[in-house]
Amino acid sequence: MEIPYVVTPRKDTGLFNSKIAIWLFLASEVMLFGGLFSGYVFLRIGADYPWPERTLPVLPGLLNTFILIASSVTVVFAWASLKLRKWVQFQIFMAITVICALVFMGFKSLEYYVKFHHQAARLVDYTMVEGHIDHEKEAGHGEGHDEHDASLVTDAKGEEIEMNVQRFQPETISFDLLRVYEPWVEDMLAEASAAGASITLADEINLNREGESDSAKQFAAGEALSLELLKKIAKAQTSNHAFNQSQRTEYLREAWDLKWDDVKSNHLLGEAAFVAAFPAGSELEPAERAKAFKRWKAGMRANFATDVTIESVKVSGGEAVPVLLDGKKFAEIERPEATAAVFKVAPGAEPLNLRFKNHDVLTDYRDGLTSISLRDGTTLAGKQGNSEMVYHYVDGIDFQYLVMQAEKKGIEPLVAIENSWIIKNNPEIAEIWEMHQQGVRLLADELSKDGREPTHKDRYRMGWQEIAYYTRLIDEGKGVEDVEIDPSAKTPPREKMVMTEQFMGPDYSRHHFPHLAIPRAEVAMDSKFTPKWNTYYAIYFTVTGLHGLHVIGGAIVLGYYLLFGRKMYLSNPEWLANRVEVGGLFWHFVDLVWIFAFPIFYLM
Amino acid sequence: MSAHADSHDHHHEPGFLRKYVFSTDHKWIGIQYGVTAGIFLLFGFYLMMVMRWSIAFPHEPLPEWMSWMFTDTWKSRWLQDGKVTGETYNMFGAMHGTIMVFLGVVPLGFGAFGNYVTPLQIGAPDMAFPKLNMMSYWIYLAGGLVMCCSFFLESGAAKSGWTNYSPLAGIADGQVVNQWLAGQTQWLLGLVLLITSSLLGSVNFITTIINLRARGLTWMRMPFFVWAMLVTGFLLLLAFPPLEAAGIMQLMDRVSGSSFFMPSGLVTKAEGLLEISGGGSPLLYQHLFWFLGHPEVYVLLLPAIACVAEIIPANTRKPLWGYKSMVYGVLVLGFLSFIVWAHHMYMTGMGPAVSTWFQTTTVLISVPSVILLTSLIISLWQGSIRFTPAMIWACAFLPMFGIGGLTGLPLAFNLVGLHLHDTYYVIGHFHYVVAPGILFGLFAGVYHWYPKITGRHLSNFLAHLHFWPSLVCMNLIFFPMLTQGMSGFHRRWYNGGDAYLAKVPDSPNIFGSTVAEHIDLNILMSYAAWCMALAQLPFLINLVISKFVGKKVTSDNPWNATTLEWATPTPPGHGNFLTEPVVYRGPYEYSRPDHDEDYLPQWIEPKRTSPKPDEKPAESPAH
Repeated sequence: MEIPYVVTPRKDTGLFNSKIAIWLFLASEVMLFGGLFSGYVFLRIGADYPWPERTLPVLPGLLNTFILIASSVTVVFAWASLKLRKWVQFQIFMAITVICALVFMGFKSLEYYVKFHHQAARLVDYTMVEGHIDHEKEAGHGEGHDEHDASLVTDAKGEEIEMNVQRFQPETISFDLLRVYEPWVEDMLAEASAAGASITLADEINLNREGESDSAKQFAAGEALSLELLKKIAKAQTSNHAFNQSQRTEYLREAWDLKWDDVKSNHLLGEAAFVAAFPAGSELEPAERAKAFKRWKAGMRANFATDVTIESVKVSGGEAVPVLLDGKKFAEIERPEATAAVFKVAPGAEPLNLRFKNHDVLTDYRDGLTSISLRDGTTLAGKQGNSEMVYHYVDGIDFQYLVMQAEKKGIEPLVAIENSWIIKNNPEIAEIWEMHQQGVRLLADELSKDGREPTHKDRYRMGWQEIAYYTRLIDEGKGVEDVEIDPSAKTPPREKMVMTEQFMGPDYSRHHFPHLAIPRAEVAMDSKFTPKWNTYYAIYFTVTGLHGLHVIGGAIVLGYYLLFGRKMYLSNPEWLANRVEVGGLFWHFVDLVWIFAFPIFYLM
Repeated sequence: MSAHADSHDHHHEPGFLRKYVFSTDHKWIGIQYGVTAGIFLLFGFYLMMVMRWSIAFPHEPLPEWMSWMFTDTWKSRWLQDGKVTGETYNMFGAMHGTIMVFLGVVPLGFGAFGNYVTPLQIGAPDMAFPKLNMMSYWIYLAGGLVMCCSFFLESGAAKSGWTNYSPLAGIADGQVVNQWLAGQTQWLLGLVLLITSSLLGSVNFITTIINLRARGLTWMRMPFFVWAMLVTGFLLLLAFPPLEAAGIMQLMDRVSGSSFFMPSGLVTKAEGLLEISGGGSPLLYQHLFWFLGHPEVYVLLLPAIACVAEIIPANTRKPLWGYKSMVYGVLVLGFLSFIVWAHHMYMTGMGPAVSTWFQTTTVLISVPSVILLTSLIISLWQGSIRFTPAMIWACAFLPMFGIGGLTGLPLAFNLVGLHLHDTYYVIGHFHYVVAPGILFGLFAGVYHWYPKITGRHLSNFLAHLHFWPSLVCMNLIFFPMLTQGMSGFHRRWYNGGDAYLAKVPDSPNIFGSTVAEHIDLNILMSYAAWCMALAQLPFLINLVISKFVGKKVTSDNPWNATTLEWATPTPPGHGNFLTEPVVYRGPYEYSRPDHDEDYLPQWIEPKRTSPKPDEKPAESPAH
């Protein structure tokens, strides 16, 4: 059996099979990216926060655009070479195409890398602070400006500790036996052993019924916390719970059997009972009476539910009949249960200071909390440790969201900013802000010559170039009156950017940025520049990520033709040409998606 | 030795694995789809039986015959004193919908019937891309298993309705630390796999239909079945990707903490103010979901109508009435189905202008639907009807689907939506479309093509034992829903309205009294549902034993039908046709006055001279 029209086109349609297929596939891809792009439109229109406009560095995106367009051209040349049966030429053009794809992905990963290492936080007053988070250092090394400080502290797993965690010094820890997340217990144990603390079972847990003495169900107080211990308790608990539940089910069945026997033998749902219970019913019209009867019956049934429990059943006459199986009540066979296991912490020389990511702590942060609960149901009681969020470098301060909120409340934007936590508590940033005000005034003067005025972004956002410029002035001992503006730039005064900074962000050895410690209670939400930070980054990463996967997929297919196409070229060159044509069509589509994505995410 | 020899011998019988497991033969893949979908349908049905217990008897433990297969540990986790909990009900409800739609009916209609019948009807040796076809099946199976296995996770399976609306679906299972192991996340992963599968499938179908038609099979000679599959293919191809986009975004919300569908300031009982950026749009999810969701209804429906449209002409012995209008009707239907989606969203506050637009298009789409149904009904007129098992199912399909369609008309209007939205009326309406409508059509298809697939007939007696109880039970299940819905019963009450009940006859609680008047119907519907399960036993028995002891078919064309699948040997071998088929005429040439027999198959070569009354009819080339 052979499938027709694999290589040669069918006469009446003029197409070979895979060409139809790729166009259909691309149609569905259009719908997929169409869905995502309309998602972008929806999110942007509906955004209730200042949408980050023109926020990405343009140069890498622009380069990538040209690279992809170039590769779309070379893939056509590769196809044409095959059609002309020029194998070497095909190899050259195809190789260029694949290399272009790799370079594209290289730039892309550079962009992603920079964002994944860039921290942002939204304060309670809606100030946005961007920058790089500090790491914990050993005592005596305090605040340095060198990011690669040799004395960084690492956690039990050997990872550097970012100063963006909630700390808690527990006295007791209560684990939810069914849901406890094992890696967290391991972390706690590692931290405890490093700190010389011991975590032991607070009280005896005995899951034996009276008279039983199964040692697998008995856990002495003072037993040290371990995963095995938790699993053993959970196992005993699960088995007791399953037993109790299955018995409760049996007792409830028995109870309902008693009830229904009673209902049937005493005709509790019958006509007579209705008349007795609802004498008014007999005076009703037949249709109304039928409805009243239905209502009464439904009510009766519902009331049965309150008569029936696993202990006893109320039967007609109001007496309660005990529910017995094998002559025993449920309470006589019930097994004890424990849903949580409580452990006690005995600190070593220093208090055990556990760290948790904000995401893992369910309790909303406030100062003075004496207990917190974690996502897996673990509850810790004790006291809070230092949970400050510390920025090593602040390279962006954005008041746009704060201004938006202030305007909603009718507060003057500048007044709101003057009263923001960051301006009131950090003199260096307050000074920078004051200089920026001067910069904005100069810009306003400049722009007014063309009848324009500074944008919201110009006014209320200080990016790294602005901050670096003002800190340089301060470091040089200059003041507000020394702020100068480049009349041609039409931007607030800012530091010049060198080429590598287009790709990697500010060069921290060239510039000076403020240091900032924010009390946890002032932080409303924090994130790296990842999809979590806002819906703009969410859609940006989703679309470009999905596009990147398409680039990789396409490059693999084209690379396959390049490296393993020789055999097919010798046996059936037209077939290979068809395949390259189809691959090339896909490649053009990938290019097209980028041509939409680039202006939307980088320029608008 | 043979492995090496095989690769050089193209005519060698493929090994067991190649033939029965990783087969690339469209017929075997069709059977794989059918059997798998059947198992999923039974599972979805089972979930519903448990839910119906909770609705009818919310205070009584689930009886042993529905729960014996579970361990005490599982039961202690998901049942409370043996009773179905609201959480479990939600989980079963969400998975019932998902399984029935995505894992049951679509794979049965499009995957099984489409795969088996379409290449045969267009005279192709196989699908255009046999390996892709195999891949579709396996990806579908993987998607289904991923979704269903999540029942055994600590979080349980998805529980936010089959529509999986955010933000509810975004926060469900939030307590699970490793989100990849949460049922809600697994649902999304399964969905992405299913979409991939149907995407590959639809590309394959459309390409096959466009490029592999037999010689002489012009567009307007294609059986209606093939047209319906073509339109279904396009619906899947173009409607599913936006849901994939929504699935990816919701997945991002779950695993990367983004806020695509999460509005600002979301507070939950467990977490307080959520640690997210907010600023997202729950409405966006609904738009993307229903952009698939509505065409999906036609993806479900068209294969069923397609089966019925083949069965009715073959059993009335007259051409399909209005073939051309049906073809244009189905094309228009396909197009319109893309612009009606927001009629599922009248209550979201989209605004009256948007609602009015979608109300208009929704009313418009009833025109092509009515054309299809009317043509089928008129096709019966003056036919000499043979009530074969396939035909009785097809006949039942017409009024059942009719009720489903007509009960949908009021729902098209947003004013009525105010009252009926999210009530049992809606459940009744779409189940009438899907269960007694679509499933009856697909049952008809099974009875029609079974002899071709196995070479044996199904038992007539068991077929009737399947049909009549099913017909009665279906109506007893779904008709009361319409009544309950109009009196305000909400579709998501896990205890059937027990909580709203007015417990005394002259209660001033008016809604409670209305509930009390209609709550007894719950018990009737539940018993009907359980009887419905019993009624499927004859069918299952019939399917299995007839394969071995059924009456053997004596002709390759046992129904004396006209379309190309009956020109193949029985059962058709790999490559389908013995000689390359050529098509000479339209698909439904029954009872032609100028022809002796009451059918003239598409593949019979016309005689050069004008036919004489005494001439013998041509032999089928397949013999």
